[in-house]
Amino acid sequence: MKSLVYILLFMSAIVFGQSNTLFEQGNRLYNEGKYQDAINSYKMILEHGEHSAELYYNLANAHYKLNHIGPSIYYYEKALQLNPHDPEILNNASFARKMTVDAIEVIPEVGLTRIIKNITNSYSFDTWAIMTVTFVFVFVILFLCYYFSYGSNSKRILFVSSLVSIVLALMTLGFAFKKFDLDKIDQPAIVFAKESRIMTEPNLRSEEAFRLHEGTKVQILETLEGWKKIKLSNGEMGWITEDDIRRVRNF
Amino acid sequence: MNITKHITLLLLVFATSLATAQVSFEAKLSKKTLGVNERLRIDFVMNKDGDNFNAPSFDNFTVVGGPNQSISTSWVNGKRSFKKTYSFFLKPKKRGTFTIEQGTIEIAGQTYKTSPVKVKVTAAVDKPKDPNDPSFIADQSIHLVAEVSNTNPYLNEAITVVYKLYVSPNTGVDNWREIDIPRYNDFWSQSIDVKGLQVQNGTYKGEEYRYVVLRKTVLYPQKTGKLNIEPLTLDISVQVPGSQRDIFGRRVMRSASKTVAAGNRTITVKPLPEENKPVGFTGAVGDFDFTMTSNKNQLKASEALQIKLEVTGKGNLKLFNVPELTLPSALEVYEPEHKESVRTTLSGMQGSISDTYTVVPNYQGKYPIPEVRFSYFDLKSKRYKTITSKDLVVNVTEGPNSASVPISAEGSTNATKQQVRSNGNQFASFKTTSNFDSIASENFFKSALFWWLLALPFLTIPIAIFIRKHSDQRAADVVGNRRRQTQKLARKYLSEAKKVIGNKDTFYNALERALHNYLKSKLKIETSDFNKDKIQELLRKKSVDDNTITAFNALLKSCELARYTPFSNVEMQQDYDKAGHVISTLDKQIKR
Repeated sequence: MKSLVYILLFMSAIVFGQSNTLFEQGNRLYNEGKYQDAINSYKMILEHGEHSAELYYNLANAHYKLNHIGPSIYYYEKALQLNPHDPEILNNASFARKMTVDAIEVIPEVGLTRIIKNITNSYSFDTWAIMTVTFVFVFVILFLCYYFSYGSNSKRILFVSSLVSIVLALMTLGFAFKKFDLDKIDQPAIVFAKESRIMTEPNLRSEEAFRLHEGTKVQILETLEGWKKIKLSNGEMGWITEDDIRRVRNF
Repeated sequence: MNITKHITLLLLVFATSLATAQVSFEAKLSKKTLGVNERLRIDFVMNKDGDNFNAPSFDNFTVVGGPNQSISTSWVNGKRSFKKTYSFFLKPKKRGTFTIEQGTIEIAGQTYKTSPVKVKVTAAVDKPKDPNDPSFIADQSIHLVAEVSNTNPYLNEAITVVYKLYVSPNTGVDNWREIDIPRYNDFWSQSIDVKGLQVQNGTYKGEEYRYVVLRKTVLYPQKTGKLNIEPLTLDISVQVPGSQRDIFGRRVMRSASKTVAAGNRTITVKPLPEENKPVGFTGAVGDFDFTMTSNKNQLKASEALQIKLEVTGKGNLKLFNVPELTLPSALEVYEPEHKESVRTTLSGMQGSISDTYTVVPNYQGKYPIPEVRFSYFDLKSKRYKTITSKDLVVNVTEGPNSASVPISAEGSTNATKQQVRSNGNQFASFKTTSNFDSIASENFFKSALFWWLLALPFLTIPIAIFIRKHSDQRAADVVGNRRRQTQKLARKYLSEAKKVIGNKDTFYNALERALHNYLKSKLKIETSDFNKDKIQELLRKKSVDDNTITAFNALLKSCELARYTPFSNVEMQQDYDKAGHVISTLDKQIKR
């Protein structure tokens, strides 16, 4: 039993080491300008079942250098899923997005909903959950201190701060739930086909609603027998064949 | 002798001249086809005088006139030409194709024969024409024909229509006027100018004619199915030979006006095959080449760039559009400039058409231009072909990054010193280090651990409250507290003694040691000055009351006594309890 644990630990260490060497090898190839080889090397890491924002970022950069519009934007989006505020990723993703053909307006959200959404999106739901737990602990400690302390002044301060922390805990819990729901709805996908016809119904007989080109980001709403109902950021909707797009998230 | 010599010489010259001048003897028909109610003239023409003319038996005809004999001799430039004609006017007896047999003549002792000629007799013609009526002759000798190159073309395949005016050798045309010019509905048409009318020789229905090409038109059918080409109608003034002859025996030409029309022509246009029709097909038919070129690949933002899409080749160039260019939305593009350089010849349109787009990039970056496909129908292989343009990448090297980043106004200050700073708008390089996570990681949120961590702190609150309540209660209970105190002290000092209750010596030794130890720890005195008086004095100083001191002393005394007198177990237990009690009382009083 013990030896099994050691073997597992050892194996994970090997995999870890392998990922790092593959990553370094990929970086070296990238630096030499062998972008396709670099991509292969980076993809091996993904095949080992490991990922990171930096890996997706480098992979996207290599695709960008090779003028692969779709894969480049796809991997930038994946990198941003893991690390949404990295300035370098944001910068290069904006470069990649300029390669796309489709110009789609973004309908801006206004007022309170926008503020709430912005705050919600600033952390992942796991981070919100950790914050919730932390605030709950802080609250309990402060409350017990308040309960066992004697001085009226310290008692007052402790009571108020414990109240604040429980309110904060409830708020972060609310954001965690909100973020979880948003993530559940948020199913981004990238168009991989050079040109794709978006139909009004999930079959080929129906009328063509509009056309999309490689690299455009869409939201998946529904799935039906090889067809996906998609929504653009300007509110347009339609059906696209499953083969033409790739969803950014695996879950 | 001399005379005979001369005669033979003369004869020789005469014979050679005979041999050199070719003898011809022909049968000429006025027409090869006639109605059963019409008449026919046959001429047997020879160019040397002959005798014993034997006309063939005109079996299927009745001879209504003739034989008429005529001789004409003319001298042109000192050259004599001779013509002798026997003419018959014949009337057919019935319909059918008949052969007029050979006629024979003897010329200079030789017998010559005409070749048999065929005559077709058709059903009765409405109005038996007077062969001498000028308009009738004009009808017979002038024909306008529309020649169509292909009567079964594909949609948008070029066909040509050539109008030819056939004029028989013995008539002339003075002038003509177009009455009705065909309008080619359902066609795209272009007429090709005919420069200078050239008279050419040709045959029309097997007969010798002269002809003139009047018009050439290239047509591109724009509809499928049966299409009608409207006739061209001309008004012509014609010179026809009349029946009268002038003083030289030539026929007097008579003028006539005539309207001729090229018959209606119907062509059947095939649709292009639906099978394998490419998506981007816009109707180009022919043989083409397609290119996409740009005048530069690398430029700065706000400079202009030109992208040209060009189709060259043969086919319906003016009848389709150049495929559209799709560009990344970040590029600003203006309406394309359309250029055509197309020549139309009899074989169709030829040349090139192009669209030139002016593109102005506003932001720095790399812009791959999506490939453009051009599809056409190839007439040779009867198949659709698609040409895909080569990929183009436009590299914009300098300029602002994106719309969200305003052009910074910083550069104007500190113009003298070169500042070392990244302009921040570059494509960033790769990252060198990374920490890898498993892709299949589990979420912390909504996991069991999360719920436990959330709930557990709250559970500690009631527990804490309970503990607090309990301890308050214990503090309030005075008797119980004292007892607990005693027990606690006794446990601390008398535990050793308690173990050995029943064994007299060891018990009292332990008890005495316990009492001493207690005092040592409480009063901080050394073992050396340990006697009862000293203890009494010390305890008094600590304001312990007399009863307790007596009890303490009594205990020490009984410890001493025990060495010499027997003690029962009950007494030992009593002493033990007493010791506990005394210690706890002392403890309380010393503390005060």
